[in-house]
Amino acid sequence: MGKYIIKRLLHLIPILIGITFLSFAMMRLAGGDAVTYMYENAGTAVSQEVIDAAKAEYGLDKPFLVQYANWFGGMLRGDMGESYVSHKDVFETFVSKLPATLLLTLSSILLTVAIAIPLGILSAIKHNKWVDYLIRFFSFIGNSMPNFFAALVLMYIFSIRLRWLPVITTENKAMSLILPTLTLTLSMASKYTRQVRAAVLEELNKDYVAGARARGVRGKVIIWKSVMKSSMLTIITLLALSIGSLLGGTTIVENIFMWDGVGKMAVDAINMRDYPIIQAYVAWMAIIYVVVNLITDIIYHYLDPRVRLGGEGA
Amino acid sequence: MRKKIFAALLSSVMAVSVMTVPVLADGEKTFVYGTTGYGVEMGDEGLNPHNNYSGWSALRYGVGETLFKYNDNMEIEPWLATDYEFVDDTTVKITLRDGVQFSSGRTLDGEAVKECLDHLLAVHDRAPSDMKIDHIDADGMTITIYTTEPCPSIINYLGDPYGAIIDMSYGTDGVEGDSAGTANVAGTGPYIATNVTDTQIDLVKNENYWGGEVNVDKVVVKTFSDASSLAASLQTGDIQGTYGLSYDSYALFDGNPEYTINSCATSRCFFGQFNYDSELMQDEAVRKAVCMGIDKEGFCSVLMQGRGLPAKAAFPSSFSYGNEAVTVPDYDPEGAKAVLEDAGWTDTDGDGYRDKDGQKLIVRWLTYPGRLEQPKLAEYAQATLKEIGIDVDVNCTQDHLGVLETGAYDVYVSSLTTAPTGDPEYFFTTCCLENSAKNRSHHSNETVETLYKQLHQEFNKEKRGELAIQMQQAMLDESAIFFVSHLNMGIVTKSNVTGMAAHPCDYYEITADLNVE
Repeated sequence: MGKYIIKRLLHLIPILIGITFLSFAMMRLAGGDAVTYMYENAGTAVSQEVIDAAKAEYGLDKPFLVQYANWFGGMLRGDMGESYVSHKDVFETFVSKLPATLLLTLSSILLTVAIAIPLGILSAIKHNKWVDYLIRFFSFIGNSMPNFFAALVLMYIFSIRLRWLPVITTENKAMSLILPTLTLTLSMASKYTRQVRAAVLEELNKDYVAGARARGVRGKVIIWKSVMKSSMLTIITLLALSIGSLLGGTTIVENIFMWDGVGKMAVDAINMRDYPIIQAYVAWMAIIYVVVNLITDIIYHYLDPRVRLGGEGA
Repeated sequence: MRKKIFAALLSSVMAVSVMTVPVLADGEKTFVYGTTGYGVEMGDEGLNPHNNYSGWSALRYGVGETLFKYNDNMEIEPWLATDYEFVDDTTVKITLRDGVQFSSGRTLDGEAVKECLDHLLAVHDRAPSDMKIDHIDADGMTITIYTTEPCPSIINYLGDPYGAIIDMSYGTDGVEGDSAGTANVAGTGPYIATNVTDTQIDLVKNENYWGGEVNVDKVVVKTFSDASSLAASLQTGDIQGTYGLSYDSYALFDGNPEYTINSCATSRCFFGQFNYDSELMQDEAVRKAVCMGIDKEGFCSVLMQGRGLPAKAAFPSSFSYGNEAVTVPDYDPEGAKAVLEDAGWTDTDGDGYRDKDGQKLIVRWLTYPGRLEQPKLAEYAQATLKEIGIDVDVNCTQDHLGVLETGAYDVYVSSLTTAPTGDPEYFFTTCCLENSAKNRSHHSNETVETLYKQLHQEFNKEKRGELAIQMQQAMLDESAIFFVSHLNMGIVTKSNVTGMAAHPCDYYEITADLNVE
């Protein structure tokens, strides 16, 4: 197992090189640079000498490959550079935004699981009854609703009409967390409810369930001890992908609720062509996807005897 | 049991919530201000005026003040200075105000101002080339500035936000021990920053403010990147004042007695420059027809929903050399059609667009999406110019600078704050001369070049204004440039908020006059 983990982590090296090189190249192809955008945004003009001096300061006047090599060399020495726009250390900037993203990820995933699993099971048990139809109807709506629209609807109801919750992040973090969490949970819980329902239904139709029922095992026991355990593999795979995506930040939600996480930071950086921040973000995304997938595989190993025995056999 | 656990959980959440709600002392006035104008993307995060555009934040949020400020007509008047005198063309002597203290406790005097300006000149990107300062002498409550060449607009430049005077002995690095904090400074303004990040600034009133009593005890400035959230926050009362509402949001507050809308025209101007390197644009009839065929009134009232004012000149009407001082053809589609007909542009194939010698009348309209208004203007022009038989091919791209280099455009439409320091020279230097950084016409008008040389040496304000009128008129007469709109800056507050007004220069937002009734 240890060797397997090390091997998977070593895969990170070529992935990081490839993905950061690609993103570096794509940003250059998109045209413009941080210095130009900074002065354009300000709406006042400066002389070409000032622009050229700023570009030279950041090394933006050098050939593309030299710029990439300089950045990668810095990375290897543990120096992610400094933001072209804010002049702050990239690592410190990144780390300062991370807790907000982690908190939102955790709250959204927990609430999603707390809603989706019971509703999915209920929907499967009450297959084709009115409860099932009702859950499927609402999960369909939740799944179809884009995040920005859900955010605006929730904001209208809970902030503008009922005045229960703040629109944006305030000093009261607990209250501020509710709307972004609900927005993210709405679509994720809708999706997972349907997935859990499908997975549980599939298991319920298997022979071992019929056998257990014939032996007089109680329904609850069948669901929680047997069916859920078998369905967990599908659910965990999906959850892992969602966690990866959430840890990368949820740009729209973060922007609307002014939740100061890495997603908002990345979009701001892209708009400003702030390459060091973009590169750090891309590297972070690569790392979390590799690590989350690795953790998922390890969980598989313990949950599913077929995976474990297959691995040992190999 | 379950009920008990649930009750315990609920109580804990409520307790945490209550504990984190800011506690306000009795009678303490707090103002929370939401803006889209602050942050890393705007280049003005932090309060250090010597860094990038952060001086705007120092001035806007009442922390910093400059030696001179701009009045409602964008004319210069004393602020931390009381008077100035040009000793000769390259020397200006400035008298400083008595009784002013920095928030650090240091008294403002000539030495403090010299230290600040010396640092500005050493580290800032634009200030040295603007002000052309050779050196500064300090003597008690006066400073004498020596320039390397005559710089008639130096007093105006000292009113630029980068000229905010801060105590250099306090430093510019921020609150001690706050590694995540963004630059904080000790200014002379009515407010002192206690916490500065790139998304929020917390301010408390300066008890020793030289300008008198400060009405509000605490101010919180929050940045917004989403216009819907900004409007919703004002509706819910999370914030009590806003800057940067989207055009369609004004309808929510207009005519509502619970809110006050305060707006005025700024010198941010949306304008187009014809590319004289393009063969098509060398035809004056085409340039003139485009100028006559754009319905500025319609654009400002419909697409900008009244948040823009039609422009004739580079400067708004509040300037003596602004809109009312120049003459331009009115929106006249029939007249534009006649101009094109006379020049031989007719619709020979009946497709609705004119042609001449087998060449279709297609105008390549280059702009960029950084400003919301520009793509809208491009579409609007496309529609209105179609009526006179001009096909507008819109290229709205972030890589507009790349396209500019290739020369593949007929008209370039952009926006610029034409008089950030209340002086006309900046606009001409930037956009209108042969060597201007933003001369997208690749053309220079002889009259403009000659008049500019006079403007550059002229110290008399009235004469500078007259020259600015003549220079604009010369460009407008040959249809080399057209001005479409001036941005109408708006600040919306709850009706119990007073003393907060939009200003043409867009610098002064939170002042000592701010009050929450």
